Amino acid sequence: MSCGNPVADANALMQRRKKYDKTNSCVKCKVTQGNLVIRHAVYCKDCFLHLVVHKFRRALEPTVNPKPDGPRRTALKPAGNLLVGFSGGLGSSVLLDLVHRCYVALDKSTMPSDGGRDHPRHERVWKKVTICYVEVCDAFPGMRDRTEEITQHVKRYDDLEFVPLRIQDAFDRSWWEKIGGKSFPSEIGASLADEALFLQSLPSTSADPLTSLRAYLSSLPTPTAVTASIQTLTRLLLLHTALQTGSSHLVLGTSLTSLAVSLISGVAQGAGFNIREETQEEWTPEPETLMGLDHAPDASEGSKTGKKGKRTVRVVRPLRDVGMKECAAWAWWSGVPVVGKEKWVWAGAKPGIATLTKDFIVGLEKDYPSTVSTIVRTCSKLAPKGEVSGKCILCGRPAQRGVQEWKARISIRDRPPAPGSTEDATAKTADAEPLQPSLTPYLCYSCHTTLTSKSARPLPSPWPASAQAPLVSLPVWTEARLSSAIRDVDGAEHVHAEIMQTRQVGQDEMKGIVDEFLLDDQE
Amino acid sequence: MSATISLKIEFGGGLELLFSNQRSHHVTVPAFVPASSGTAKATALPAGDEDGAPKRPVDLAYLIFWLRDNLLKEREELFIENGTVRPGILVLVNDADWELEGEGEYQLKDGDEIVFISTLHGG
Repeated sequence: MSCGNPVADANALMQRRKKYDKTNSCVKCKVTQGNLVIRHAVYCKDCFLHLVVHKFRRALEPTVNPKPDGPRRTALKPAGNLLVGFSGGLGSSVLLDLVHRCYVALDKSTMPSDGGRDHPRHERVWKKVTICYVEVCDAFPGMRDRTEEITQHVKRYDDLEFVPLRIQDAFDRSWWEKIGGKSFPSEIGASLADEALFLQSLPSTSADPLTSLRAYLSSLPTPTAVTASIQTLTRLLLLHTALQTGSSHLVLGTSLTSLAVSLISGVAQGAGFNIREETQEEWTPEPETLMGLDHAPDASEGSKTGKKGKRTVRVVRPLRDVGMKECAAWAWWSGVPVVGKEKWVWAGAKPGIATLTKDFIVGLEKDYPSTVSTIVRTCSKLAPKGEVSGKCILCGRPAQRGVQEWKARISIRDRPPAPGSTEDATAKTADAEPLQPSLTPYLCYSCHTTLTSKSARPLPSPWPASAQAPLVSLPVWTEARLSSAIRDVDGAEHVHAEIMQTRQVGQDEMKGIVDEFLLDDQE
Repeated sequence: MSATISLKIEFGGGLELLFSNQRSHHVTVPAFVPASSGTAKATALPAGDEDGAPKRPVDLAYLIFWLRDNLLKEREELFIENGTVRPGILVLVNDADWELEGEGEYQLKDGDEIVFISTLHGG
């Protein structure tokens, strides 16, 4: 092949690289002509459909039993029911269809061909399967409410319960109490405008959940923070619904592609310590936030509590080996309609980290499909260093010890005033706000970054009218933990009793404290 | 030989919203279209063709532009990007992945069924 002029010489152009290996016959059955190319491998329609079911079961079934299987495969006996988190997107729709086919409708074409312990002649694996949908339209101006469409969509699947929630339920005390949360007498608000995140009691007549939600979102510093917060709120709503429905497992429709996006964007936002949780996690509620767990409405239905009153929800993503393209092909060939989701945008908002990451990964998948699965595979080999110090009060994930010390070491802070006016400044800071409790020590690194990492330019918020409320309510699970912490300060020793307080120290005072440690390098 | 080709086009995964909210379309495209410079061999012209410009058999690449110009009602950037379909759109030709048929270079035949499925669903 020459590198000549393509117009004159037809052979001058390099051959386009084929998007698949070897022949275009199916790599599995080797007989039929291929219908689909997945990461350079060719599959015929039948083999492809079986492959997706196989990958789904392979990712989910080892997580069903409370303890992993020993040398012999045991029957599937989960500790509780199943909750399917449904967003209306492609992955969720495929997940719901597969869950229904494999475990409810008992579609024979999805069963392993041999008899075996999982054969439908035995009782069903999941006694109760519930679908939970969280409507987020109230968080974004002008977004369409899809609850009705979703309700109609899930009717296709008989024998499944449906629980529709709204994103503002995260700020709704009546929802919290209904699901068995411990009520808190008064709300504590946080001042998100100040990076110190001071806490203060809110007047007892607090705003309705929708207003609280919008005030919270408007106080966030970046569009990235808005997206991250809605994702966190949704996840916690689903987890608490899992408790309420006696579910030991929560399954989400995260595809391989979506997982790559969330892993990368999570690391970019400082959530590297929780990189394993992004794929699979075990969540237990903080005991002090719930009314004795036996009071949770469906706790007795089919759920076994291991230790006394201790309930765990295992979050599994069975489609984590199934790429976005495979999900689309499955949905098309299996006749699964997809309701869809809308983009989370508002006037003047620039794309956040999650959106930029998704655009990048989707583009990467088109040109270099193997890289996306490499990302997930590599991330699955990572284990974070560092000790766990409790659970983050906002996102419920393990928090790393020493977050604030690390941040203080790497940050450039405001300098105290010039030496000339030091005396006045010291006097002022000493008389300033009495020591105030802060949200900071309760937060993991990424939640703290989400709330405090500001851009140089002020950014438009989704709800300008609610912007800059001095104090905002926090999600109900956060309120419950804070209120329990304050209650216990007066009572007996409790590991959550300490509410750390911070204040700015004047330069002289600081020098006085460290003086004895300073080296004498001046005469 | 007919001068046009009839095709059945289907849109899924939310793409139909860009095409008058209609999932199924029947379209007719010319059998031969102008060859863009340098990328394809010129075919022998059918007798009686006055136009001296080189022509090529109509292919998927052309169809994508044709759809943009004739059927697409809005938000062109959600369908087409860099001269081809936007990343995240799956294209099936007679129920087979277009990657098996040479993508944009696949030459359309009369009665072909082309499906465009968006995997992004607006999100």
